[in-house]
Amino acid sequence: MFNIGNWIETNTFHHRQFWDLLRLIREKEKQGLTISLCIPALNEEKTIGKEVVLFKSELQDRYPLLDEIAVIDSGSTDRTREVAADFGADVYLSADILPEMGFKRGKGENLWKAIYQLKGDIIVYVDADIKNIHPRFAYGLVAPLIYRPEIKYVKAFYDRPLALSREIRPSGGGRVTEILVRPLFSLFFPELTAIIQPLSGEYAVRREILERIPFPVGYGVETSHLIDVYQEWGLEAFAQTDLDQRVHRHQPTRDLGKMAFGILRTFLKRLRERGIVGDLPELTANLRQFQVQGDHYEQVIHEIYEEERPPMIEIPAYREKFGIH
Amino acid sequence: MEKTANDAMTSLAMEKILDQVRKLPQALEPYREMLLANVVMIGEIPGPTFGEEDRVNFLVQRFTECGLQNCSTDEAGNGLAILPGTSGEKCLLVSAHSDTPFPATIDHTYTVSGGKIRGPGVADDILGLAVLATLPTILEGLGLRFSYDIVLMGATRSLDMGNQSGLRFFLANTDLPLKAGIAVEGASLGRLHFRSMASLGGTISCHVDRKVSQRSAIDVLNQIITRLREIDMPRESNTALILGSISGGASYKVPARNARLKFQLRSDSDEIVREVTGRINRILDEMALQAGVSAHLEVIARTRSGGISSSHPLVVQTRRIMAVLGIEPRYSIYSSIMSGYVEHELPALGVGITNADNVNYEDEFVEIEPIMTGVAQLIGILLAIDGGCCV
Repeated sequence: MFNIGNWIETNTFHHRQFWDLLRLIREKEKQGLTISLCIPALNEEKTIGKEVVLFKSELQDRYPLLDEIAVIDSGSTDRTREVAADFGADVYLSADILPEMGFKRGKGENLWKAIYQLKGDIIVYVDADIKNIHPRFAYGLVAPLIYRPEIKYVKAFYDRPLALSREIRPSGGGRVTEILVRPLFSLFFPELTAIIQPLSGEYAVRREILERIPFPVGYGVETSHLIDVYQEWGLEAFAQTDLDQRVHRHQPTRDLGKMAFGILRTFLKRLRERGIVGDLPELTANLRQFQVQGDHYEQVIHEIYEEERPPMIEIPAYREKFGIH
Repeated sequence: MEKTANDAMTSLAMEKILDQVRKLPQALEPYREMLLANVVMIGEIPGPTFGEEDRVNFLVQRFTECGLQNCSTDEAGNGLAILPGTSGEKCLLVSAHSDTPFPATIDHTYTVSGGKIRGPGVADDILGLAVLATLPTILEGLGLRFSYDIVLMGATRSLDMGNQSGLRFFLANTDLPLKAGIAVEGASLGRLHFRSMASLGGTISCHVDRKVSQRSAIDVLNQIITRLREIDMPRESNTALILGSISGGASYKVPARNARLKFQLRSDSDEIVREVTGRINRILDEMALQAGVSAHLEVIARTRSGGISSSHPLVVQTRRIMAVLGIEPRYSIYSSIMSGYVEHELPALGVGITNADNVNYEDEFVEIEPIMTGVAQLIGILLAIDGGCCV
C-alpha cells in the first residue's frame, strides 16, 4: 500500500523541468490536445488584469499552449469582469452557465460549471488572487499531463519536497493542511499525505476525470477531489509540480476555522458513504465561534453547508453538448 | 541647386512617414498585452545597480525568442541583440537602462489595474526595457523593415554609482558603425532630451574623532551646507546645486560621529562645474582645520555638457512626429541619460513612453492608455532616421 517514496521520485516535478515551451507545444499538438485555463473569481479586480495579461500574452500569443482563457465569476460587485474582458479573457457569470441547475455561491460551483462551459481536454484551474502570477502557474501544471499520458491530475505546491532538498526541513502546506488535512489523510488515506499541498487552488486535470467526480461547491472541493480520484484511479493518477513562490492574501485564523469546518464535513461525508466509519451522528452545518464584547463572550454561529454538485457526466445538457451517449 | 533637390526629397519622405505615424497607435493596439506582460515579467525580476544580471538574462532570452542576431551580454553585463537591416552598413542604437534604484529585498510584485501598472521601477526604466523586448515582434507584425541594423541594448550600471558605465563601456568598445542613438525611458511621454548638462554627483562625508572632540558630525555637516548655500551660482549657465539626501549618527542620545550628504552639481558649462567643485573642496579643507574634524568629497558620477542642437534634423523631425501624435512636448532638453552618447559624440535623443507618477518610490506607476502613442513615437523616429530624414 505504501509507495509514497517511489511516487515522490517519479511524479513530483519542478516547473523548471518544463522551460522548453516549444517542445511542450509540439507534443500537445502531436496528441491533438486542447487546453482551457479557468480562473474562478469573486471581486478580484486588483489581480485579475495582470493574470489575464500574462497568460494571454505568454501562453496564447507567444506560445500557443492555452486554447482558451476563461474567467468564471461568482457575481463580483467590483470591476473584475470588466477588467478581465478588457484584457482579452472570455468572461462568464457562473449563474448564466447551466441556468436550469440553479446557482450556488462558492468556488467549487465555478469549477464545476467550467467543465460544461469550457472546451479543453485539459482544464487548468488557477486562483485569481495570486500576486506573483507567472506563466509557470499554467505550463508547470499541464506539462506532466502532456508528457505522461497515465497522469490525470496535477496539483501545485509551493515549497521544495523533502526528496529534493539538500537539507532536511519541514515541507508542507498552510495551517489548515498541517493541522487538519494531513492528520486526517494520515489516519484514513496515508498515501495522500505525499501530496505536499492538498489545498492548493491550482491544478490541471483531464476532462475525463473532471466529468466523473462530484464537486462540493464550497471549501471542501480540493479535499474531495483528492479522495475521489485516489479511490477510483489510485495515487499513480496524481502528480505535483513545485511552482516556487506563491504570494497571496493571508487569511485570518477565524476564516480558516470556517474552511476547516467545511473540509471536515466533506471528509466525514466520504468516510460515511464509503463505510470507512459507521454510526456518525447527523452532522450539523453550524460552526460556533466566540468573540469578546466588553466583559462578556458572545457566540457567533456560521452556517456552512457543503452542498455537492453531481459528476458533470450525469447532467443531460452536458452529455448532449459533448456528444456523450 | 542639388541641396534644394535633396531637401525636397527629404521633405517628401518625411511627409510619408508622418502619414504612417498617424495610423500607428491604432495598429499597435494588438500588441498592448504583450508589452504589458513584458513589463510585469521584467519588472518582477529585481535589478539593482550592479545586480542586473537576472533581469538582463531575461531580456536577452526575449531577444533570442524573437529571432534576433548576436543575442548576448558584454563584459559590462549589457544585454544586446541586433535586428538586422537590409544594408548592413549603418547601425542605430536603441537603449534602455536595466537597473532600478531598489534593492532586491523589497517586494517587486507588480499590479495591473485601474488603467495603471504599479510596481518598483516601472517608469524608470522597466517600461523602456519592455518596449525593447517587444519592439522586434511589433516591427515584424507591422511588416516594417529597415536598412539600418537596429541594436537593442538593456544597459547596466546606469544609476548612481553606476554612472552610466554600461552604456559608456559599450560605446567605447564597439566597432559597429553607429550613426545615432535613442534612449528610451518609461516616463514621461513628451520628454525630448538631446543635451547633457555638465554635472558632478558626490558624497560629502564628515567624521569627528571622539578622542579629540565631542561635536556632532551633523553640526559640521550643517555648517558645510550653510557654506555651500553661500556659493554664488551663475544663473545664466543654469547652474544648480541639488542637496539630495543626508544621513548620519547612530542614536538620539549621543553626538553623531559620522554624517553624509549626497548632492549633485549641474550646469550648462563644464568650466563652471570645475570651478564650483574647486570651491566645495576648499570649503571642506577649511572645515577640516577644526580640531578632530575631517571632511571629504567622493565623486559618484560625472557628466560633461554637450549634445546636438535644437535645430539638428533628429530633433526637428522628432518634434514633428510628436506633434502628429498629439504629444505635448515637455520643457527640459537636458538629461544625464544623454551623457554617454555625448561623450562619444553620437547624435542621440531621449524619449519617454507614457505618463507616470511616484517615480523612484515603491508605489511608482505608469498609465497604460498612452503607452502605444509613446511606442508609435519611437517607431516614427526609427522610420525617420532610416528614411534619411534625421542623420
